[in-house]
Order: sequence, then C-alpha cells, then structure tokens
Amino acid sequence: MPGSLRRQPANRVLVPQFTHHHVAVFLLTFFSYSLLHASRKTFSNVKVSISSQWTPSCLNDTALQLQPYELWNSSHLFPDIGEATLFLGTLDTIFLFSYAVGLFVSGIVGDRLNMRWVLSFGMCSSALVVFVFGTVSEWLHFYNKWFYCCLWIVNGLLQSTGWPCVVAVMGNWFGKAGRGFVFGLWSACASVGNILGAFLASSVLQYGYEYAFLVTASVQFAGGVIVFFGLVTSPKEVGLPEVGEEGDGGGAAEEDAREPLMGGNDSYDEDDQNYTIQAADPSSSPQPRAIGFFQACCLPGVILYSLAYACLKLVNYSFFFWLPFYLSSNFGWKEAEADKLSIWYDVGGIIGGTIQGLISDVLQKRAPVLAISLILAVGSLVGYSRSPNSKVINAVIMAITGFFIGGPSNMISSAISADLGRQEMVRGSSEALATVTGIVDGTGSIGAAVGQYLVSLIQENLGWMWVFYFFILMTSSTVLFITPLIVREISVLLGETPVRRSAG
Amino acid sequence: MAAPSRPGAPGLLLCLLGGAIAAAWGSAPPAPQICSGCCAGSVRNGSAVAGFCGARAGAGLLGRCCLERAAVVGLDLGNCSLSQLCPSFREASTAIVIDLTVNQLEPPPEDAFRGFTQLQTLALPVELDCPGGSNMWDNITTQGHIRICQGQRNPCNGSGGLGWLCPEDSLCAPDGPGLPQCLCVGPYHGYKCLRQGTFPYLLFYGTLGAVTIGLSILLWVTQRRKVKAS
Repeated sequence: MPGSLRRQPANRVLVPQFTHHHVAVFLLTFFSYSLLHASRKTFSNVKVSISSQWTPSCLNDTALQLQPYELWNSSHLFPDIGEATLFLGTLDTIFLFSYAVGLFVSGIVGDRLNMRWVLSFGMCSSALVVFVFGTVSEWLHFYNKWFYCCLWIVNGLLQSTGWPCVVAVMGNWFGKAGRGFVFGLWSACASVGNILGAFLASSVLQYGYEYAFLVTASVQFAGGVIVFFGLVTSPKEVGLPEVGEEGDGGGAAEEDAREPLMGGNDSYDEDDQNYTIQAADPSSSPQPRAIGFFQACCLPGVILYSLAYACLKLVNYSFFFWLPFYLSSNFGWKEAEADKLSIWYDVGGIIGGTIQGLISDVLQKRAPVLAISLILAVGSLVGYSRSPNSKVINAVIMAITGFFIGGPSNMISSAISADLGRQEMVRGSSEALATVTGIVDGTGSIGAAVGQYLVSLIQENLGWMWVFYFFILMTSSTVLFITPLIVREISVLLGETPVRRSAG
Repeated sequence: MAAPSRPGAPGLLLCLLGGAIAAAWGSAPPAPQICSGCCAGSVRNGSAVAGFCGARAGAGLLGRCCLERAAVVGLDLGNCSLSQLCPSFREASTAIVIDLTVNQLEPPPEDAFRGFTQLQTLALPVELDCPGGSNMWDNITTQGHIRICQGQRNPCNGSGGLGWLCPEDSLCAPDGPGLPQCLCVGPYHGYKCLRQGTFPYLLFYGTLGAVTIGLSILLWVTQRRKVKAS
C-alpha cells in the first residue's frame, strides 16, 4: 500500500514525540492555572470564618451581651452573619464581572507582550492583592466594605491574565492533531486547583482565616516566580519547529508533516483547510502583527463559540456554585457531605473533557462531538432533576451530567479556543491565540456572572425545578449557537468521504 | 545641625532618667486616685476596712485605701456624701473589702463591679441591694443602716449561672458579683476564640522558599538556558 510509508510521519503527529519541554510546559501551565483557581477556592472556603470575623456575636437576646466586649463584639462591619454572607456573594459577582472584562483585555495584552511576563506578573500581583485583602487587612484590623470591593475588582482583572496566557502557551506547544485529548486532560487544572485550594485552606484555617489567604497567596507568588524562570512560551524560543506548521498543514512545511490525520492524504488536507478558514484563501490574508480585538471577533467561529460558551459556562458555573447548596436544601444532606458529593460533578467533567477531546481528535471535528454531548446533557439534566433521595444514585447521575456538560465546557474553553486562535486566517502572525481565548472565556464569564444572579432569582421565586428548566434552555441555546458550525463541519465530513474512499 | 543638639542630648537623657527614677522610687508606688481623689480623709477608725487592714500582714493604710504592694485590697468610702461612685472606682477592682456606707448612693450601674473578682465583703447603705442579686452572695446581713454582702459566689455555677451560654471553645469565668464572662480555653485565642496555635512561619516559608529556588534553578537550567535572546 503506497500510503503506508507516508502514514508514519502522520502517526508521529497524532501521537507526537513529546520532548521534556512539552512536559515542563504542560505542568507549568497546569499548575499556574491551578494556583490561580486555588486562591479563588480559598475565598469560598473561608467564607464562614470571614463572616464570623466581620460580625459581633449575636446571642439571641440583647440583654445578655457576651463579655469581655473586645473579645466578642468589637467587630461591627456587618450586624449579622446573613448580611455578611450577602456581601460575600456580592464580592463573587463583582469578581466574575471584572474577571470577564479583564479577559478581553488580558488576551490582547498577552498577544502583544511576552506571555511569560504577563502570566508571571499576573500571578505575583494577584497574589499580593489577595495577601492585602485577606491577611494585611486582618493584621491591621482594617475592615472596610469599599476597600474589599476595590481589591476584589483589581484581583479579578489580574487573575484574568492567567487563562488566555496558559491556553495560548499550550496552543503553541501542542498541535491540533492531539489537542483535544491533551487539552481535555489539561483542563482538569481548574478542578485540581479547587481541590488544592480546599486542602491548603483547610490545613491552616485553624491559625485564622488570614493564614489561609497568606498560604495560597504565597504559593501563588512562588508559582509566578517559577513560571518566570522556567516557562518557554513557544517552541520557537528553543529552536523547535512550531506546531502550527507541523500539525495544521501550513504551506511552508514539508508535505508529510502537513498531514494531521490517520489515513489522511493530500486532497483531504485541502478540505481541512477549507473547513477551518471557510471561504478565505490562506495566501491572501497575511497578518504580520498581533491581531486586533475586532479582527479577532470576526474570525470565523469566534462569536458563535463565544455565545455558545456563555450559555454553557452559565450552566457549568451554576453547578459549581449552587450544587452543594441545592443538595443540602433539597435533600437535607449535611453541608460537608454535600461539598464532598459535589466533587463528582468535577470528576465527570474531567473524564468527559478528556474522552470527548480524544474522540474529536480522531474525527478531526469538534462541533459534532459537542452537539451530541450537549443533546445528551439535556437528557441527563432532566434525569438529574428527578434524582431520588439517594446519595449513590445522585452521585452517578451527577457525574454523568458533569461528563456531558463539563466536558464540552472544558473543550470549548481550551481546545476549541486554541483551534480558533491558530486557524489558517491568522497563520501569518499566530499572535491571536490569547486574544481569542480571552474573548471566548470573557463572554463565557459574563454569562456565568449573569447566571449566578438569575439562578438565585429563579430559585427564590419559582423553585428548583424551574432552575433545571432554565439550565435545559441554556444548554439547548448552546446547541443552537453551534448548529451553523456543525452544518459546515458535517458537510465537509460528507464531502471528504468519497475522496477518502478513492484514496484507500 | 548636629552641633547644637550635642550639649542638649545628655541633659535630655538625665531628665528622662530622673523622671524614670522618680517614677520608680520617688513617688512609687503611685497612689491610686481612688485613695484620695474621690473623698478626702482616711480610713475610719473601727471600720471594717481598718480592722481588715490591721490583721493583714504587709498591708498598710493610705488615705481611704488599704494597700498591699500598690494594689488596693481595702477601700473605705464611708461617710463621703457620695451620690454616685467616683470615676476612679475601677482602680479598686482588686479590693477584698469595700465600705460604701453612710452615703446617699443611687443604685450603681449593672456592671459597676465588673472585674471585682476578689471582693469578699461589701458594706452598703441598706437602701441598696447587693450587686448581682441576693443569690450571688453567700451571706447577706443587715445591721441598722448597713447591709453587708459577704462571700461572692461564682456566677458561672448554679442556677443563676450563665456558663452554658458561652460559645464554643470558650468557658465561663467570674468577672465580679453576678457578672460572668466568656474566655477562650486552652489553645484558642483571638477574636471570638476562632484561632488556635501560631502559624509555623519558619517551616512554611523555609519549605516554600527552598522549593521555589530549587524548581526555578532546575527549570532555568533545563528549559530557559537554551532560549536565544531575540
């Protein structure tokens, strides 16, 4: 068979020969984002301690004031725990909005400056802000609502430098061929960060909540330093070939390396280009410099995927934020148990992201995989909303729901963002990656922020069942937004089949 | 600028030293305000305080007080025409015996005796009740115009006790007649007794610093050393 000789280099691309640089980059970016997420998780895990610190003791009646006054009642930022909790919820929303705004900006910045500097700066400066927020304010006993709000806005902006940079660096190193699987595995970093943050916070919380912030901030700062000394942002830097040329079929690379597919051939390669760049002709659109924000928005697929991700991240984040609360309020399970149980959603998401990424690698098409997964997600949402009062059954359905919702969500935010940012249209500059990632994730974060508000509103006025109907509506909207992309990819898939047959 | 300050410096130093010595020896022990500032005169002969002070070794009378190592152990404010307790009354929180008889006293505020944990004998005008209520004292007697409250009970014990009301990680402790307080127990400390132990700074930053430096060097050598400056 004449193709067998050619197939070898193609296989090399699909199961790429990873150098130690690849491993280092994978781990560095993975843990960078994990640490950023860990400090967010710390904040939600010390909420009880913080609201205690901000309020006076309230023993049911005022006649019996606890003495001595300094020990029990000297803190008056909020009159009671309820108002403190409300304020902490407001801080969450503020953070999500400023994070979303920051993502749009950071992506643009990341593409123009050295991403190693941007990521390192983002991690260290956000660590300092967290340190001031949680530790310094407590040491000085300086409690002020506006001070906290301002710091959290700044923290959201600084934290947002992380995601576009790490995705862009990963996109630089891991070619499109194996991207779905690698990114699926890699996008576990958020969940690992959650676990890490919960672990760090709980192990030092006994010394006071300020030490939970101190520890996560210090570790994050150290991470920033390590990134500064260790991260190689692109294979170019160490003289390795760029993956774009190697994996996606760039014009300059040798013919064998252009084939990204098992069983692929030259005629397929052209089809592949057609699907990615749509009508555009690669030779006619050379972009010498980093791409502008509006140019990035106009890249094919960016707006549709952004809107789809806004709907999907809304559902996904609502699960993160509200699942423990739902479990303890709907089934009457203890909060600690509900917290532990809700990890299964994460687990489902990690497995889902990895397996679906792998399938999409093999198919070389991501949109149909997303669509099928999301249609199944609607089914699993219906099933989950009718879950019986059994922890085992609930955990299983929860993991399945995580598999079908968290999986696509991880895929859009990482692998697809990288695909979009490195498509043929921007091949000339290849500096669109962070900007595109910022746009997709930023839109998603706005969706998530709005969602947090809507879920609490719907839940309060209409009940949990309507929250699930809302989730189903949002998941269906996601499918709607990616339908044009599916239609295009399916038609490409159908169009190429006869070509393949003739080749085989 | 330095020249004019030089001759002044030793003088200032002497001045400070003198002040410190005066504080330590000359006027030491500084007499509490309450002993003379509240009511002129001295402890009345034959009063409970005078008897108590005479029987106590190491204690001596000063103004209205019986002092032991600068601490007020007895206070006689009898016949002082007081209608309210003096602001400096808190200085007598170490007192064992207090006499407030022969005064037109208004009932004192609820926590006037906060911190008076040593108080064993309190003589009051008969119009006033013993602070904290009658079940906070072992023995209450009235002799003519005098009410004597004797033997302060622990407010944390018994039916009137509030010991069970103390939040987690704190225990009830007496803070005067009928006045309980909640203090952190064992390793707990800080606002609302939320904290426990001290943070191991050295261990944490030692480990973190070592790991950071180690990883930075390792990664620099293996990853970035080959990076060409562009």
